[in-house]
Amino acid sequence: MEPQLLFFIGKGGVGKSTSSALTAVYLASQPYKTLLVSMDPAHNQCDIFEQDFSEKPKKVSETLMVKEVNTDLWIEKYLKETTAQIKDTYKYETAFNLQNYFNVLQFSPGLEEYALLLAFEYTLHKYGDQDFIVFDMAPTALTLRFFSLPFITLIWLEELLTLRSEIYKKKEIISKIKIAGKEIEQDKVKAKLQTLIGNYEHLREHFMSDTTRVNLVMNNDKLSFSEAFRIRKKLLDISIGIDRIVINKVTPSENTEGIESEFKAQKITRFPFLAGGLSGYDALMDFISANTEEFQALEFGNTV
Amino acid sequence: MNPVLKWLKSQIIEAFKISDEVMRGKAVETIEHEVAELDNIFGILVLGAFIGIPSPPIHITMELLPFMNKEFDIMLEKVLTAHDPLGHLFSVLGID
Repeated sequence: MEPQLLFFIGKGGVGKSTSSALTAVYLASQPYKTLLVSMDPAHNQCDIFEQDFSEKPKKVSETLMVKEVNTDLWIEKYLKETTAQIKDTYKYETAFNLQNYFNVLQFSPGLEEYALLLAFEYTLHKYGDQDFIVFDMAPTALTLRFFSLPFITLIWLEELLTLRSEIYKKKEIISKIKIAGKEIEQDKVKAKLQTLIGNYEHLREHFMSDTTRVNLVMNNDKLSFSEAFRIRKKLLDISIGIDRIVINKVTPSENTEGIESEFKAQKITRFPFLAGGLSGYDALMDFISANTEEFQALEFGNTV
Repeated sequence: MNPVLKWLKSQIIEAFKISDEVMRGKAVETIEHEVAELDNIFGILVLGAFIGIPSPPIHITMELLPFMNKEFDIMLEKVLTAHDPLGHLFSVLGID
């Protein structure tokens, strides 16, 4: 069975990390095999759990593992592999000239979200045996670019494949006339384009699948509210729906009706405000037992 | 068969083969140039970043780059002869 994927997204500072940590700890206590992945380049799961994490998942409890994605490491690894491939196929002088350009390419915008996508793909592949994978996402801008990357990439790839097929057809005509029907060699670029399209379609399906749930974390204030609207709209543009609204830092006397009436289609979870914030595994557990109803209402378990 | 005749026959066959090759070459000359143009367009679309033209999401360039040695050469060559586009066109059309 494929793991359920829970994404926690929202404006910077609303409490995505805390909400995802709480959810992960709760799920692990049920006990589901849970992996919490921090995709925010400015990690803070280490502060919440009061211990260091890295690319390699670390066991926090019997059923809970936590890892922090290191985007720099992924970019570096990716560039190394590409460079090696280029050296294999290019003539010496070209490869030599290419190196200069290549050194600049690594600072191109867009590589950061690609690194996140690589890390995401790897996590799904490597930790497919988990019941839940909880993703603590980066603030809105990077997260939206991450989600839309497969969609935009597919548009490009399909256009390129059309052009490439046209070129290949003409090359076939040439070879038929010139060398009387002898097969021309398989076009490597076309084959690569087809593989890439397959990969990205797979990723897009993951984002749109029923087992993927997007949790939008927000606070009960105007800024957070208007950003939540924008996120909802942008995600709808690429057919990704929001499953749940987590209203974080709610005080007992606070009225959250405004949010509830705006997000009627979504389930609502309220996490109460806690002065001083949460840190340490025990504090998280205490918070969960003090707010059992909110967590029981998460209903994640019923769908596994 | 007389060795002279044999030699003559092989010569005729050889001549025919060469003329066939030439004719076939001529027949696809224009389409070959068209393919080179298309290859160039494809190159620019994917590798435009290298000659200062906005390109697709950079990871697409990176993924395809290792397989695009030829397109890369064509594109760079076209950049070098970009100041004389008519010269190239005239040579395709066979105008001296």
